[in-house]
Amino acid sequence: MTIAKPIVLAEDNPRDAELALAAMEEEHISDKVVLCHDGAEVLDYLYCRGHFKTRLKGNPAVVFLDLKMPKVNGLEVLRTIKADTNLRAIPVVMLTSSREERDLAESYTLGANAYVVKPVEFQQFLSAVKELGVFWGVINEPPPERACSHQ
Amino acid sequence: MESATNHQAQAPPLHDDVGKLPSGSTPAITAPSQRIIRWFQTLTIEQRVLTGFSLVFVGILIISAISYHNTNGLLRNSGLDGRSHALIQLLGSIDAAMGEAEGTHRRYLVTGEQAYLEAYKRVIAQKPTFTTYLNELTQDSPEQQRRAGELNRLMERQASAESKAITHVQERGIQSVRKMALEGAGRRELDGIHQIISEMDVYERQALNRRVIESAASTRHTIMLLAVGAGLQLVLLASVYYLIRHDITERRRVAGELQRRGELLEAANKELEAFSYSVSHDLRAPLRHIDGYAALLRKTVDQSLNEKAARYLQTISDSAKQMGQLIDDLLVFSRMGRQDMLQTTVNMDQLIKSILSDLRLDLHGRQISWTIASLPEVKGDPSMLRQVFMNLLTNALKFTSTKPMASIEIGVEPPGSDEVVVYVRDNGVGFDMQYAPKLFGVFQRLHRADEFEGTGIGLANVRRIVHRHGGRAWADGMLDKGATFYVALPRGGIKG
Repeated sequence: MTIAKPIVLAEDNPRDAELALAAMEEEHISDKVVLCHDGAEVLDYLYCRGHFKTRLKGNPAVVFLDLKMPKVNGLEVLRTIKADTNLRAIPVVMLTSSREERDLAESYTLGANAYVVKPVEFQQFLSAVKELGVFWGVINEPPPERACSHQ
Repeated sequence: MESATNHQAQAPPLHDDVGKLPSGSTPAITAPSQRIIRWFQTLTIEQRVLTGFSLVFVGILIISAISYHNTNGLLRNSGLDGRSHALIQLLGSIDAAMGEAEGTHRRYLVTGEQAYLEAYKRVIAQKPTFTTYLNELTQDSPEQQRRAGELNRLMERQASAESKAITHVQERGIQSVRKMALEGAGRRELDGIHQIISEMDVYERQALNRRVIESAASTRHTIMLLAVGAGLQLVLLASVYYLIRHDITERRRVAGELQRRGELLEAANKELEAFSYSVSHDLRAPLRHIDGYAALLRKTVDQSLNEKAARYLQTISDSAKQMGQLIDDLLVFSRMGRQDMLQTTVNMDQLIKSILSDLRLDLHGRQISWTIASLPEVKGDPSMLRQVFMNLLTNALKFTSTKPMASIEIGVEPPGSDEVVVYVRDNGVGFDMQYAPKLFGVFQRLHRADEFEGTGIGLANVRRIVHRHGGRAWADGMLDKGATFYVALPRGGIKG
């Protein structure tokens, strides 16, 4: 099983990040995960700037977005991605604790491809993250690449 | 002894009465006006305004009636004045005519000149006209009428005496009436006529004067009445205006206050929403971590874990899960309280069907006899009502789980006037009716956690939703004999 493209995981909570990575580890896809600690970092990655200035060009296979993050929150990142013609095709999965109807509605309106509520139960969380990682990172065929035209 | 006590008991009131008598008169006078004020204060604003306008209306009616009456009196007086003047004139004419009749007839008697006789006849011919006018003009005054009668009689007598004298002179010659001719046949009557006419004249002039004074006084009274009446109306209208204005100001103030409170409430609601959002997001995360790290720990030390340590780890996981469930239920409870309500027709048959289809995993391996009646349509919020019956059915399933053969009935009470009553009945463990009031409280549980799991929020949610629909929820049960939960919803949906 080879993954061509990286998976971007935006998670400000290091414990959640560690648990998610532990789940990905079980599916041997954790080495493809790029961990961002806030929304600004996600945008830096997507636009190949700041810390990610020197990264290999190309869009990720999928972006997992937490809603509540410092600096730039999940919905703002989502709005930016879906408003940019070069990034619009990237699948975005909201991965959050919030079950609020308002968040669900707004995410889908902004063009989220999926919305997953993090289960409290670890086994469920584990299988959810594993399934998501495998589906979006491996099974799903990502959109055709357009050259990263940023800088 | 007895009489002594009686005496003592009676004495103070006597003194009291004496002491009160002089001062007692003041409250007696103010009591009715106070009663009116108290009565006025019990009226609604509409009744007060109506009372005010009624008083104004009655006042206008009274003033109009009195003015009408006074003006009528003035008109009648001026009519009478006209007649008085006519009568005075008539009396003058009669006086002159009768004097002339006397004079001409006497000259005829003395001279025998036909011209005098002709003149006399012309004058006397006016007599019936005089009588008619006289009767007509004295109609209103019995006294004048009496005098007029007397006058007529005297005129009649004078005329008849004179005509007798004339006949006499024509038959027997001048000598026979010589004495009469010198004195005049109706001389005495003419004197009487003069006297009566002057009496009537004086009387009529007095009456005229009296009426002039009367009319002037009446006009003055009318003007005064109009002025006082207008003043009173103004005062009344001003009070009504004050009442209305006061009421409007008060209403405006209340409306402003309501709006202010509405805004405060909205702000509080927003805050609450933000709060529950944080709870939803932030409280779940640590629980997930507890469960997650417990699982990772178990995995890492799997081989060396003894039974006791494994149980501890399991308890940590279970507790975290339980708290997660609690948070979820609380959030639903909070959402049900503030969420905007839809108002549509809900098909209860389909609602129950879809709930049972969602519960099919819980039904697996259970022996349940279902009795589901044909249910009516109700007005309400579909997702909220779904929550209600989901909770009731989950409860029914949970509390019949200890029975080998569960029996659950969903039915509807015979149609009442304005409510639809749907019930869910089971043959489960039931409850003691003395705890019935506690059933619908938040976190209220009648069973130990190791008997039946649950957070104690389900029924609180049921009641909250049903209340928001303007309905009622209650329960009926017996220990070990099952329970029935009733939901009554207003037939036409919530009012307003």
